[in-house]
Amino acid sequence: MGNEDFRRELNNAIDNISGSPSHGLRDRVRSRLIETPSRGGPFWIAGVAAVTIAVLIVGILFVINPNRNNAIIGGVGQVSPSPSASPSATTSPSPSPSASPAASPTPAFTCANTAPITTQQPANPIAYVSALRTGAHAGYDRVTIEFSNGEPASIEVRPQAGTKFALGESGQTVTMAGKNGILVVIRGADAHTSYSGPRDLKTNYPRLVETRITEDFEGVVQLGLGINGPACYRFSVLTNPTRLVIDVQAP
Amino acid sequence: MQERPQTLARATEGDANSFATLLEPLLDPAYRLAAVMLDDRSAAEDAVQEASIKAWRKLRQLRGEVGSLRSWFLSIVANECRMARRQRWWSVVRLPDIRTAAEAGAMSDEPATDLKAALLRLSPDERLPLVLHFYLDLPLEEVARTLGVTTAAAKSRIYRAAKKLKSDLTLEEVF
Repeated sequence: MGNEDFRRELNNAIDNISGSPSHGLRDRVRSRLIETPSRGGPFWIAGVAAVTIAVLIVGILFVINPNRNNAIIGGVGQVSPSPSASPSATTSPSPSPSASPAASPTPAFTCANTAPITTQQPANPIAYVSALRTGAHAGYDRVTIEFSNGEPASIEVRPQAGTKFALGESGQTVTMAGKNGILVVIRGADAHTSYSGPRDLKTNYPRLVETRITEDFEGVVQLGLGINGPACYRFSVLTNPTRLVIDVQAP
Repeated sequence: MQERPQTLARATEGDANSFATLLEPLLDPAYRLAAVMLDDRSAAEDAVQEASIKAWRKLRQLRGEVGSLRSWFLSIVANECRMARRQRWWSVVRLPDIRTAAEAGAMSDEPATDLKAALLRLSPDERLPLVLHFYLDLPLEEVARTLGVTTAAAKSRIYRAAKKLKSDLTLEEVF
């Protein structure tokens, strides 16, 4: 095998390992760059100011929320990175106020969303789940649910004590790995038209230990996330491609 | 090409679109480098994405040297891959990628499969110079800059790693 043969075969092997990047990578990078202020300039200062204002607004909204007493049944959403606060036995999430941001590497993790969060879009056609990915990053573990055909009608993210999740309407339950859970309810979506990948991802990340599709019926997709520690998370819906990103704070 | 210094200047002033335009041609090589280092396609895309943001934040370190952009960015991608491995998400049970029929055909190519297995037995830091030299065809000086070593050291790393794949390889066959 000469030099050219070796090179060709090595390049084949590399092609074989890497495949091609997904078509959306370029757009994803561009949109992330546009969302991210460069460091050291006025954008950075503006970003800090915006985050501060957002935290203040969330705090004020929390204080004046007339429904908050009804929802407090037990402490579940562990907003503090401290491991001391153990969850009580309840399935209702606590709308605890947002915690102070954890000291973690870039991007900084602000554990803001510990109460159930719902987003709603105008009536959209059914959004098809096209990919389900997990990854561990500095300071957080990430679940990415990618959609084709637009954004789903609504997304609800609910932290819960324990990892027992209902399996659709069957009445059966499943106990997933971890100590606490996050239930993600996506309405106006299905996970069987464009998605044929694994439906139960067991991982060995610092916090996120299991991600499972627990329901996929009549336009409702539910996922259970098993968290090995406090169910402290943030989430965002990004575009190009449309995707729901849930980050769970990790040590 | 003439416009690249101006685009870089705009990017340095904070124009994210200009920076994205500069990065675009580098995303494919960066992805392939990350995919080989991590042996995980989805993690490779995440690493490239994170590296892009880090590069954006550190852009001033480049000091307007557009000629160094590729090696500078690839070195950030390589660091991101190393960091990703240190974060222990390497140890997860990874599910097999769904491969297309064409890729499945390519997999049946036995020598390539043997070489692939041999390549994956190398450490990610040993795979890195091989991708830079053989696959991305970077000049030795640029390989050295990406690795953060001298040209002689880069040459040595390429040769050592290549020898692990094919023991009878001579220096002349590699360079």
